Amino acid sequence: MAAQALQPKRKLDERYLARQRWARAGWIYGAMLALAVFFIGPFYVAYLGSLKDNPLEWPFRYTFAQTQPKNWAAAWRLGQLGAGDPWLGGFVPGARVPFQISYFVQAGQEPQAPLVTVPTRRAGAGLGAIFDEVQAARYAQVSEVQEVGRRPAVVGGEPGQIVTYSFTVTYEGQGPKAARLPLDVEAPRGQLYYAATLDPNRLERRGRVASWDSITPGFLGYVFRNYVRVFNEARDPNTGASFFLRWTLNTFLVCLTVVLSTLLFASLAGYALARMYFPGKNYLFAFVVFTMTVPAQAIFISNYLVLRDLGLLGSLWGMVVWSAVGAGAVFIMKQFFESIPREIEEAALIDGASPITTFFRIILPMATPALGALTILTFQGMWNEFFKAAVVLSGQQGNYTLPLGLSFFRSAYGVAGDWGLMLASAFLSMIPIIILFVVFQRYFVEGVSTSALKG
Amino acid sequence: MRRSQRTEALYALLFLAPFLIHLGVFFVFAFVRTLGFSFTDKTLIGQSYQVVGLANFVQLFQDPRFIAALTHSISFMLVVTTLQTFLALSMAAILNQRLKGITFFRTVYYIPSVLSSAAVTVIAIWFFQKTGFLNTFIGWVGSVAPVLLAFLAIFALAQALQVGWERMRGLPVALTDPALAAISLAVGLALTWTLVALGVVGPREARPPEFTWLTNSDRFLGIPIPLWSIIMLNTFTTIPTLMLIFLAGLQDIPKSIYEAAAIDGASPLQQFFSVTVPMLRPVTFLVITLSLIGTLQMFDQVALMGDAAPLDSVIVLAYYVFNNVFSGEGRVGLASAAAIVLALLTFAIVLLQRALGISEKAH
Repeated sequence: MAAQALQPKRKLDERYLARQRWARAGWIYGAMLALAVFFIGPFYVAYLGSLKDNPLEWPFRYTFAQTQPKNWAAAWRLGQLGAGDPWLGGFVPGARVPFQISYFVQAGQEPQAPLVTVPTRRAGAGLGAIFDEVQAARYAQVSEVQEVGRRPAVVGGEPGQIVTYSFTVTYEGQGPKAARLPLDVEAPRGQLYYAATLDPNRLERRGRVASWDSITPGFLGYVFRNYVRVFNEARDPNTGASFFLRWTLNTFLVCLTVVLSTLLFASLAGYALARMYFPGKNYLFAFVVFTMTVPAQAIFISNYLVLRDLGLLGSLWGMVVWSAVGAGAVFIMKQFFESIPREIEEAALIDGASPITTFFRIILPMATPALGALTILTFQGMWNEFFKAAVVLSGQQGNYTLPLGLSFFRSAYGVAGDWGLMLASAFLSMIPIIILFVVFQRYFVEGVSTSALKG
Repeated sequence: MRRSQRTEALYALLFLAPFLIHLGVFFVFAFVRTLGFSFTDKTLIGQSYQVVGLANFVQLFQDPRFIAALTHSISFMLVVTTLQTFLALSMAAILNQRLKGITFFRTVYYIPSVLSSAAVTVIAIWFFQKTGFLNTFIGWVGSVAPVLLAFLAIFALAQALQVGWERMRGLPVALTDPALAAISLAVGLALTWTLVALGVVGPREARPPEFTWLTNSDRFLGIPIPLWSIIMLNTFTTIPTLMLIFLAGLQDIPKSIYEAAAIDGASPLQQFFSVTVPMLRPVTFLVITLSLIGTLQMFDQVALMGDAAPLDSVIVLAYYVFNNVFSGEGRVGLASAAAIVLALLTFAIVLLQRALGISEKAH
């Protein structure tokens, strides 16, 4: 208070102001960085979760087996040993996979060799469980477990020693390829898991039982295990085809068809609204703007029945027909055509060309920037379209698009709490949009601000 | 009408035909038919149906689930719009700087708005699980709270001392002087680090999370906790779009007005309230309208929640309509009546906007 009562005797000098400006810029960059963490952080931690064996583990870890380069290298090498495939791994005839595991044994206790088994394990919960897959347990032979070294160590304040055991899993004779080589290693009471050639997927009974989904996973099979599972485990019970691949293809087909029809119909309609004379034009345009505000959820019942009468329910064509051209797209094209000079088309019309020729030969080529923006907006909108898919496609799993597929996964795997697979599928479904966004981000960012303000 | 005009009108009709047919079938016919159905007892499986007058509307307002959906929709709309508008405007104000790299940050912030609501909702449901990241984060903040508080206290003290000192020397520095704040930050960090190293303050041990977001039957401000989760999610994903609209509006405000205000001695805060806010009024109006209409349509998040949250705690109008058509015998009549209520709410907002005399055009 006393300070405030004093009248300023001096003015802030130039050097002080410069310092202030620099500091201000620093704070703003800091704030922007914080906002970036706010918007991207949730996706980053969810991505970490999608790599984990248990995404719901508590406490949350930022580094875990799948983020460690040591495991990347081991998974690569073991994949090569198991099936000659460093990416996805497997277990083929003739494979010899040496493996080591170390335990901490307290002082005064005699270490004992652990029990090594190749268990029969079905893939995941939910959809994958109904398929019979080649079980490595039928073909794998585990060699005798041998002790290869001891060294004294202190773990958690307890003196003791670290004992390392070694064994080899082999595939003798002939047989089919197994996709995975699961392994359980159980140590006697008092021996704690310390390290292994490849870190296990699960540790149970206080570190006595270590288990692997596959000790020959390959790099992708270990680090991106949940992502590989999205493709391998969720398959059509009748045909055995991967649902996720199918959905991706479906989504692409719908998006491309809708983009094409929207480009054609919206630019035709937009041109007519912008340039041609006909009675009631302004009323029609006002009506078009009005329809943009009415939610699809309020009027879908009749559309559902129309598509049912046309026999398009459960088919991708139903999605396409329903979304063939939107009022918003017509609006964007009308705005664009109004912004280009009239003289060019008038010259063409005077030359005697029909409006149709003029439109396709002269107008449309000039509209490339607007068509580009419209392509991206429409593609993104259709890629993310959930509501129409839920109305048209429900029940026909083979014909789902990705958003509806994610919803299907959520109900199929949510009960078992298989969050690894659900998160991985969510991230996979984003990839095309992220690529599109990175390449064309200018269209996205400018499109939103300018089209909204001009509207 | 002259002959050439008639030809032109015919061509226009030809050009418009595909769009008009689509609009006619999927909007006009659809709307009229929905309105018609709302007065009948039509079901999805039944062949015949009868006109029942306003019985569906009466039944709607006696259905506790519809009442829940209606109140959820309206409260969701109001809460999300308020949160979004304030947050988006303040973020845009921060971002409205001529600094290098600002476009990069703007692009980064836009990402949550580009991604599909389905994928984002799946991620969000994980986020809101009991041992999901939100509870982890809250637990972490709780456990480091002593350290954070110590830091904030030291920071405030250092800033107050410096500002006091400079004013004693007769320099007219503001309480929020950025250069002094930078020094306070350094002092705060160094002293807090020392205190932690000396063991005077330290983080508490984090306890396993107890709070559930999605399976919680409690309410906060009359809104169920699971719906609050969707409110947070929806606000998070739509802020970027609205922020960009605000930002475009901010950049249209002439710099000269700010300069004039600065010469008249207006502080940055005064400038914000007496220049920015009034100049942005049309844009703010646009943002609020977009937000009101958009939130009223919210469907995807509720549908994807599925059994992750009890339906009666998250149901909204759009989902109520969908659910009535596609569950049981498919009560089309009742669902249509609810759809008409949803449409009427939307019209009311649009009309209100028109009545207030500000069109969608910012310019």
